[in-house]
Amino acid sequence: MTRRSVTRQYPEVQPDLPPRSRGVIALLEENCTVCMLCARECPDWCIYIDSHKETLPAEGGGRPRTRNVLDRFAIDFALCMYCGICVEVCPFDALFWSPEFEYAEYDIAELTHEKDRLREWMWTVPPPQAHDPAAETPKEVTVAERAAQRAGPAAGRGPGRNGGP
Amino acid sequence: MKVSTQETVRTVGIGAGAKELATEDMTLNIGPQHPSTHGVLRLRLTLDGERISRAEPIVGYMHRGAEKLFEVRDYRQLIVLANRHDWLSAFANELGVVLAVERMLGMEVPERAVWLRTLLAELNRVLNHLMFLGSYPLEVGAMTPIFYSFQEREQLQRVMEEISGGRIHYMFNRVGGLKEEPPAGWTDRARRAVGEVRGRMGRISDLIMGNEIFRARTRGVGVLSPEQIRQYGVSGPIARASGVDFDLRRDEPYLAYSELDVRVVTRTEGDCLARFECLLDQVHASLDLADACLDRLAELPPGPINQRLPKVLKVPEGHTYAWTENPLGINGYYLVSRGEKTPWRMKLRSASYNNVQVLTELLPGNLVADMIAILGSMFFVVGDIDK
Repeated sequence: MTRRSVTRQYPEVQPDLPPRSRGVIALLEENCTVCMLCARECPDWCIYIDSHKETLPAEGGGRPRTRNVLDRFAIDFALCMYCGICVEVCPFDALFWSPEFEYAEYDIAELTHEKDRLREWMWTVPPPQAHDPAAETPKEVTVAERAAQRAGPAAGRGPGRNGGP
Repeated sequence: MKVSTQETVRTVGIGAGAKELATEDMTLNIGPQHPSTHGVLRLRLTLDGERISRAEPIVGYMHRGAEKLFEVRDYRQLIVLANRHDWLSAFANELGVVLAVERMLGMEVPERAVWLRTLLAELNRVLNHLMFLGSYPLEVGAMTPIFYSFQEREQLQRVMEEISGGRIHYMFNRVGGLKEEPPAGWTDRARRAVGEVRGRMGRISDLIMGNEIFRARTRGVGVLSPEQIRQYGVSGPIARASGVDFDLRRDEPYLAYSELDVRVVTRTEGDCLARFECLLDQVHASLDLADACLDRLAELPPGPINQRLPKVLKVPEGHTYAWTENPLGINGYYLVSRGEKTPWRMKLRSASYNNVQVLTELLPGNLVADMIAILGSMFFVVGDIDK
């Protein structure tokens, strides 16, 4: 009876959400290679990707290279089930979860976020939390350590370098 | 209570000369949208005055074709879909799918994942039960407990959200283990949440269990016999409240339950109050199990939390039936694979579907006012009925 209320006055007081919270999906456009894995793995196909191929002129006697250029990347959050499979399958770390959740709209079409808007969410992506002490070392760390060892023990410990590739 | 089965004789004319008032059975529809039914369950009642003479649950208003959709989902996408039919026990729903797939693959799950899954399944059970511990008193007129139960739910949901990223649809199971490692310090926060919830559970039980009105509305109302339970395949806390001592966690242990001392909560009365008591006591039992899991997790040597999976996961041809003790009862998946990356068929046996069917026998003879008390005490989720 005499305890303080636990109610959070939401619009005035923002909830403190954990970094893993699945609020909105952010796109780091620079990392996207248009491999389409996310769009294909999405259970309800709410990711729209358009791209075209671009031929880069030959550099220094090599042959001309083609690369994919992303024209459109959109996620329809009206359809999205927030499962996170797209973030999980992305092999190039182009998709991230952000805990931001305040993007309700009056028009359902507005819930389709185009790539500019998805890129803006990137600024809200929190760094991942450290893992439990009993966890196995993440494979990124083991890979980096192995690479550092290959580079030679001297190179890794040199004063000007901080190890790893 | 005695049910009048004789046909009502129509007597013509109401007035001074008429011997008795003409009465006629009335058909009353409860739902599909009625404030006292959660979701869209429809009950067609035939009333003789205030008394129910016939009751028929009509299901399917929320049918989403989950079983058909399972057939076009691979084994990761399946989890998204499968955790949604009973939205209060998402973790337990996911669990059945991955257990079935792992059994078909003959896959060994890392020990840490097994214990963590057990822990999360128990926390999910507490979350589910707390929902009904709050909403059931609300349905019979007690406003306060839901605020208490939601405070506890919030605390546990925080723990679940921190590890999985989701508050309701966790999407944290994967074939071969769990999606991710728990964050550093999570186990301490989980232990603290469990302790605090346990410490405050008394607020709900003190408020409700000694309440005269609550007892009067639930004691002796809606009594289910063990025979009816068996005939209709009723399971979970409802079955145990009628003295049917069956709990898969003890009787056919999966995960790490064989190494745990699972206390199965039973009652013999089989009425609404007994069902509520089962839920309440089960929360304490589950919190104890959660603590036991946390103890074991702390002792386990470092190791992985999941298995590395091939790019395309195909399940060998065959079939299996994986059933788990979900918070609301037995949840089973019958998985038939023809070696594809999607199941050929996955039949879902959901707890609520069987549990509400018994209303046909349970409701007749009761008053309309008791219908609310009985309906609420069947602890169902409409998504779990309609699939």
